[in-house]
Amino acid sequence: MSLAVVEAQVVRLQAENDQLRRALADFSVRIVCGRLTGELPNNFLEQFSQLPDRPLEQVLRFLPARQVVQMRHVSRKFNNLIRKCSKTMPKKERNGSVLFKSYYGRILSVVLFDDRGCKINETTLASDDVALSELLCLICIKGLIYFSDGLSAADEVLDQLSKAWLTIRPEVVVFSGHLSKTSRNTLRAFLVKVEPSIKRLHFQSADNLVQSLLNDDVISAAGRLDGLMVLPSGWSFRNVNIGDETLLSMVDTDHTSSYFFAIGCTDITPGGIRAFVEKWTKKWMKTGKPEAGAKSTVYRLRSAWNLFELTFDKCANVTPATVEAACGKLLKKEWITKVDSGDGEMNYQIYIAIECHSSNRRLEIHFDIEQLFPPHYVSEPRPNVALNDLYDDDWDSETDEDDESGDFYDDDEEEMNYPEDYIF
Amino acid sequence: MIQLCSNDDPPVSFTVPRKAVELSKTIKTMLEDLEGFDMEQTPIPLPNVDAPTLELIVKWVEQHQDDPPPVEKPRVEDDDSDDSDADDDQEPEVVIPEWDKKFLPTDDEQKNQLFKLLNAANYLEIKPLLDIGCKYVADKISGQTVEWVRDYLNMENDYTPEEEAKLKEEIAWAEGL
Repeated sequence: MSLAVVEAQVVRLQAENDQLRRALADFSVRIVCGRLTGELPNNFLEQFSQLPDRPLEQVLRFLPARQVVQMRHVSRKFNNLIRKCSKTMPKKERNGSVLFKSYYGRILSVVLFDDRGCKINETTLASDDVALSELLCLICIKGLIYFSDGLSAADEVLDQLSKAWLTIRPEVVVFSGHLSKTSRNTLRAFLVKVEPSIKRLHFQSADNLVQSLLNDDVISAAGRLDGLMVLPSGWSFRNVNIGDETLLSMVDTDHTSSYFFAIGCTDITPGGIRAFVEKWTKKWMKTGKPEAGAKSTVYRLRSAWNLFELTFDKCANVTPATVEAACGKLLKKEWITKVDSGDGEMNYQIYIAIECHSSNRRLEIHFDIEQLFPPHYVSEPRPNVALNDLYDDDWDSETDEDDESGDFYDDDEEEMNYPEDYIF
Repeated sequence: MIQLCSNDDPPVSFTVPRKAVELSKTIKTMLEDLEGFDMEQTPIPLPNVDAPTLELIVKWVEQHQDDPPPVEKPRVEDDDSDDSDADDDQEPEVVIPEWDKKFLPTDDEQKNQLFKLLNAANYLEIKPLLDIGCKYVADKISGQTVEWVRDYLNMENDYTPEEEAKLKEEIAWAEGL
């Protein structure tokens, strides 16, 4: 092979090399410009898709939530950006309560309280332009959501709250207004939304708690509950379509103390109560040694027990007699007389109870509670009342060990006497 | 050493140690994808970055090339992502180091340079630089009026008076947050 041939080959290779290098440079330009599609690992170019907004978004993340809302004022671009990224921005967490009230069916008032009862803010929205989800996009509501006066839980309100990206994690939800504009599907969707956090669900003094709204399926959307109250308003109790299925599901609660307070639930049957009692007993009545800490004293404070209360009133099929007949020896009857100090009339209450000493549990079935504000009733949030005083969150933990020698029933008073907050 | 070229005409070229340049995730990924090629010979053109900005970038990456790598957390992007992970979505506290405080173009007449730097940091995916820069801007904006921010960010008020009045009502609600 002559030198000339080798030199020619070197020149050719160098040219080829240069060509490749140019191609490579071009290739890298296209990569850095993000114009290239295919031939690259998946998602490689997607990171470029939202370039211009990201630094601004990053700036917003460092601002206090209050100012972020103000910044919407700057320009349309900014407003759109904030709306867009509020979904992924860190939320300010609020453990307090939100109160919804509706006036004349048109204006919705939203009041936000912190957990010490400080009114943080109040705003009103015309109901034809409910922009709730916008308002709440930077706050994560924990604690209590209270739907009070008027059509405060109408479909359009619940729809807004159920928006997928809005963060609401209430522990307690209370419906206490008119529910005539609330449809079953919307209510169900809302309960599905709060299901991960909700522990207690109340329909108390709720108007139009009509047959078509509530049923076992809707309640089951809220998942496992520690407390459920169905208390229609007024004395003309409608038939509420909640039945044995809901009752039975209450056994699954993890909380040490729970309650199911049902008024006017005609579908609950004595057979259902028997099934409940059997399931409950199976779950808690352990054989063998008592749990550590459990005492074998028969006479003890009711509050020392981990108490499950079932309360029935105006439930057509449920009377002390039918329950006793259905449950037979499963239950031990305790009978309590109370004098209503208000008008001096005797007010009879009947408790049927089971005690599980081994697990320190007690199940009580109450009948005919004639009270305006029954136990576990949640009051409406208002200024200077801390969240914990609105509902007795520690209703199970008020154990007074020193009083153990006292009469078994003495401490019932603590359930009957409400803190002053309840009287208004 | 890797060469980076600005978008000027003619391009200004900077030579940067590979370790430093890899603080940019964009370039790092590119280099990894082109493993086997002799990238030392191929200048990388950056069509979104001008020479003064690139100079700042180069200064910053050279200063920070020995920093421990930041802990990566995946960004939550999708709208219907499970709400439950929002809890751990809290931004970590960002502290601007002393060197960076002096480094950032913080004079008001230099603010456009600062925004260019942020854009470049974003484009090149240099997260720590983006973080401290954005933190600086956020501190600057914090507590200021809407008008001031508009001016500072070179933004135009494109609302109609009606829209503005309506927004004002909504915003009043955020006062106590």
